Amino acid sequence: MLSKLSIISVAGLVASSLFAQGPGRHFGGPGGGDFAMVRAEFGISNKVVPGAPYTAQAVTQFTQTLPGGDHIQRTTTASVARDSQGRTRMDRSIATVGAFSATAGGAARAIVIHDPVAGVSYALDPASKTGSSMQIHARPAGSEEGRMRRSTSTNTAIKTEDLGTQVIQGISAQGKRVTRVISPGQEGNEKEIDIVTETWYSPDLQVVIQSKTSDPRFGETTYQLNGLSRAEPDPALFTVPAGYAMKERASFRAPAAAQ
Amino acid sequence: MQDNLEILEDLRALAADGPQAAPDRVGRQLLGEFRARRRRQRARLWTSMSGAAAIAAGIVLLLWVRELPKPAAPVPAEIEAEAEASFYPLPQAEALPEVENAMVVRVQLPVSSLRSMGFPMDEERTDEVQAELLLGQDGLARGVRLVQ
Repeated sequence: MLSKLSIISVAGLVASSLFAQGPGRHFGGPGGGDFAMVRAEFGISNKVVPGAPYTAQAVTQFTQTLPGGDHIQRTTTASVARDSQGRTRMDRSIATVGAFSATAGGAARAIVIHDPVAGVSYALDPASKTGSSMQIHARPAGSEEGRMRRSTSTNTAIKTEDLGTQVIQGISAQGKRVTRVISPGQEGNEKEIDIVTETWYSPDLQVVIQSKTSDPRFGETTYQLNGLSRAEPDPALFTVPAGYAMKERASFRAPAAAQ
Repeated sequence: MQDNLEILEDLRALAADGPQAAPDRVGRQLLGEFRARRRRQRARLWTSMSGAAAIAAGIVLLLWVRELPKPAAPVPAEIEAEAEASFYPLPQAEALPEVENAMVVRVQLPVSSLRSMGFPMDEERTDEVQAELLLGQDGLARGVRLVQ
């Protein structure tokens, strides 16, 4: 089923611009968007990394080539930081999510502070000066329990290549290329589809510094940490600024079933 | 009075015979008692010294432990695990790098946009829904779930 959905996704992306509207909000069309940002809810961190502070600008560029040769290009940025205690902060523009763009007038920015030392995660909306806090428990290193399963096409051949080591922005990074091959006919495709992902991972910082994903079905994505600094970030970055109206978030809701 | 004089005479006679030694049996008993007493004294001394050393070691250990950095990673992860596992994985995220840090945002969007993302929705529906997107460190959606 996922494969069918994957195939219709490109068509759906184009078609989404034709869909409209909720009361008082205009989706699609000139000046419209694909979604309206409501608020940031919370942050999730898959590992706690103490003793490796850094700050950087995370830049993601998504490019999709339409059948007519036109391109859809979206760029999104985030300020990211981690201190020596393993606390993280992500200050992100939500103007776009991949190929999707937000409607004008919604929250354009969201901040998530993840503090495993204090056991709390904050989600902040700088525009309205509101936010929520939630108790968290860091997951043991290497634990896969509870991780979101990946949507993996059945019978997809996966090939992994070691790209060696190179220095990116003064940081040593290990490269890996993963190629997923969708055989002809597997998703209704006539020819073989190769989905290639290259990642450059810093063992010191324990983060991906650069990555590139080429998926002929959806487009090409590049991600890079720019302006990397290993200096200790300002501790104020990991606290809720004064003037925010905060409320405590109790728990997660059960997942909703597809309809 | 007469008895006293007789006793005195006997004592003088005894003294005149020269110094008298205690019997061997009494000597051995005295020596044994003396050695036992020394052992008890040594035992008490060692006990006191061991106690003092243990207290000193405890103080040193306490001071050392207080200087150690606090462990930064408390354990189990029911909440976060539950959160991440509750998202429907998107086909578009299949080949993206693993999530390191994620942000969950609530959005409102037409059902058609959800379908475009690969979330299975009834083809007949054209309304809007609220959903939560799980965004990876690159800002790309890895998963989605509907808000009830």
